[in-house]
Amino acid sequence: MELCESVQRGLQQLADPSVFITSCYRELLEVSYRSLLSSQADPGVLDQAELKQVEQIVLKQSHTAATTFILEAVKLNADKSTISSCLEELTFSAERIDIFYEAHQKHKKELERLLASIGRCPPHINDVSWRLQYHVKNNQVDKVNEPFYCIALNTENEGSPEDINFTCTVEQLQDLVGKLKDAAKCVEKASQM
Amino acid sequence: MEEVDKILIHALKQVGTEVSEETGSVRQFSSELIVEAVVRCVRVIDPGLGGALPTSLPPGMSARFRVGMSLAQACQDIGYKGEIGYQTFLYSNEPEIRSLLMFLVEKLPRESAEASDQPQGKSAVLQRAIAAAIRAQLSVPWLPPNCRLPLHSQTQSPGALHSFHVQPLSLAHCSPGKKPLKEVKDYHRDILPPVTAQPSHHASVVASILEQHTAELSAAQEWDSEWNSQGLLSRLKPQEYRSRKLTRLRKRIEEQLRSAALPSPESASGGPRPTGDLSELLQAFRGSAPSDHTLTKGSHFTHTQKFTFTKTEPSTSIPFVHQSDSDVQLRQQEEQLSLQEQQLCSEVDQLTADMKHMTVTHAQVLDELKQRELGNSEKEEKMQVKKKTIDLLPDSDDNLQKLKALVEASAKRVVHLASQWEKHRAPLIDEHRRLKEICSRQDLESSQKLSEIKSVHDKIRVSTEEAKKKEETYKQLVTELENLPQDASRSAYTQRILEIVSNIKKQKEEITKILSDTKDLQKEINSLTGKLDRTFAVTDELVFKDAKKDESVRKSYKYLAALHENCNQLIQTIEYTGTILREIRDLEEQIETENGSKTVANLERILSDYKAIRQENSALAAKVREG
Repeated sequence: MELCESVQRGLQQLADPSVFITSCYRELLEVSYRSLLSSQADPGVLDQAELKQVEQIVLKQSHTAATTFILEAVKLNADKSTISSCLEELTFSAERIDIFYEAHQKHKKELERLLASIGRCPPHINDVSWRLQYHVKNNQVDKVNEPFYCIALNTENEGSPEDINFTCTVEQLQDLVGKLKDAAKCVEKASQM
Repeated sequence: MEEVDKILIHALKQVGTEVSEETGSVRQFSSELIVEAVVRCVRVIDPGLGGALPTSLPPGMSARFRVGMSLAQACQDIGYKGEIGYQTFLYSNEPEIRSLLMFLVEKLPRESAEASDQPQGKSAVLQRAIAAAIRAQLSVPWLPPNCRLPLHSQTQSPGALHSFHVQPLSLAHCSPGKKPLKEVKDYHRDILPPVTAQPSHHASVVASILEQHTAELSAAQEWDSEWNSQGLLSRLKPQEYRSRKLTRLRKRIEEQLRSAALPSPESASGGPRPTGDLSELLQAFRGSAPSDHTLTKGSHFTHTQKFTFTKTEPSTSIPFVHQSDSDVQLRQQEEQLSLQEQQLCSEVDQLTADMKHMTVTHAQVLDELKQRELGNSEKEEKMQVKKKTIDLLPDSDDNLQKLKALVEASAKRVVHLASQWEKHRAPLIDEHRRLKEICSRQDLESSQKLSEIKSVHDKIRVSTEEAKKKEETYKQLVTELENLPQDASRSAYTQRILEIVSNIKKQKEEITKILSDTKDLQKEINSLTGKLDRTFAVTDELVFKDAKKDESVRKSYKYLAALHENCNQLIQTIEYTGTILREIRDLEEQIETENGSKTVANLERILSDYKAIRQENSALAAKVREG
């Protein structure tokens, strides 16, 4: 895990027992997790009674560094050894590393969900209903005799169901099914790299 | 023999034979199991041969016989050199089966250790992690939305998604070396909100923090690489290098913007063409055309963008233009205005040409004026000199003397000053030379030190990369080792093998000792028999000579002969006993091996099978006769 200068300095301040005593350290970690996971921005999140002992600028720098480090650790899905080696290099004591790792494990799933909610995703297809039509004749041609499929894809887009309707001929439907099979094979190949 | 059997059973299990847990040794294999194991091995070794063979023995006796023969043939085709026939499978005995199975297991193609050939490197690790994640997601079965557990919510029913929107953050820290102003410090302390509260959308907090961090990290890395490559060479301090680069870039930007903003000469209307695309501008900066991103690896599927059956859209018809009166009027007005514009432009051009002409003539006139003034001042000087000489003329002799004295005095002074100057000049020149030498030496040293620094940097980089790579490989290998199946412990086998090797060595030593002992004994025996023969011959002669005369000597001769005979017989008997003992030992060994092959049971089975075949034959014959 690579960290930039300001984050390293902020974390070193966090590791320093003369600047942050253990209870302040714990409180700051909790505050950092809360500020990331809460649904509303809270400008007063650092105004806790416990944290008043620490100087404001140092507090803000450490808060920035802690939030950045937490997000990077979740982004890289870092395991315990990576996190501990990273924090050890920044002069964290073993006890503080344990406290950090406990808090990290507690909130990891929610943070993963938070990170996974960034991005775009086309709607998911849940169900398909189809209807086969048969065109017998029309006003220009006496014998048409062509089957058509009317397909309705029940999709779900961000929680709300939507329907995508379309009609296609037999060949187009075969093409679609063929492309779906190609896509499935692609995914399987990607999983076997 | 147990370990060999364990290895065999393990290998057979890997091939696919179902060996139950209780069978610990090959002795307990039944005929069915043997046939199944052999057929599976043959199928793996040579799919062509093994495809036709069934894995289980058919019930009919003749069919069994046929299967046995074909199996034996297949094994011989693969290359088994021992004696093999249908009896090996139907009426098996332990040593034959063991050797056959060992041969087949050795012939099995080795599962090559491909895992160790995989390329290391960050991208490969990332790809493997991606593949593992995809595999994990594929293994979770799809459930309809009403049945979904929270476990599936991530991949199967995603919630609301936000796009990656970044807002700039202001951090409370400042770069070291620059002292912040007091007001900035106060702002940071009292008013600046914490980082998570700064973006206006709370959903963009995560994106902004990550982006800020990555931007800082990549800027630091770029600065490092640039400083190491170019900055050190320029021998400036970092700040000077940075300021120089800043001015250089600013100049370049100004040039480019100016050249892009100039009106192009070929536009017919004369007005400035709208400045080109921003991308073209940036292209001009870079000085090279941007390379088209060729599509790199991707499957056929990822490259296709349309279905095969998209309808081609009918080309849009050319719009039908109506000539209306207002259009004609507008066009006329346009033409008039453009004519006017052209006239005005030409006038402007003329005026600028005139202006240029005027400035040129103005400059010329100024030059002339200067030159004339210079001539004037020269002439004034000459006039002054002439005036002075005329004033001095009346008192000419005295003045001439005074002037000569003045001239001499000034000449002497000049000489004196020149000598003083020489005195000063020499040490100064030496000093100058010395300082120049020091300067050049320091240049050399500094360039040497620079190259050393560069090489040390390179070494540091290379060794950190190697250390990282080795740690990565170590981690990967540890995880792979944990994932490997733990059935057969290799260390036990290697221990046994080493023990066996040392045992064999000891036995070899003992055998050589025994051999040498035997040789010595044989030599002794030979020498003793030779001695005996010679002694007997001599005694015989002696006694025989005396035997003709004396009766007692004749008796003693007879006794001697009898003694010789009896001793010979004794020796022969002893030798005979020895051979018989050896034969007994051999026969005992043979009895043991024969006992190992379950001949009696097999014989009974053969008898019963023979009876069954006879019955089948009679049944078939009856059928043939009937039908």
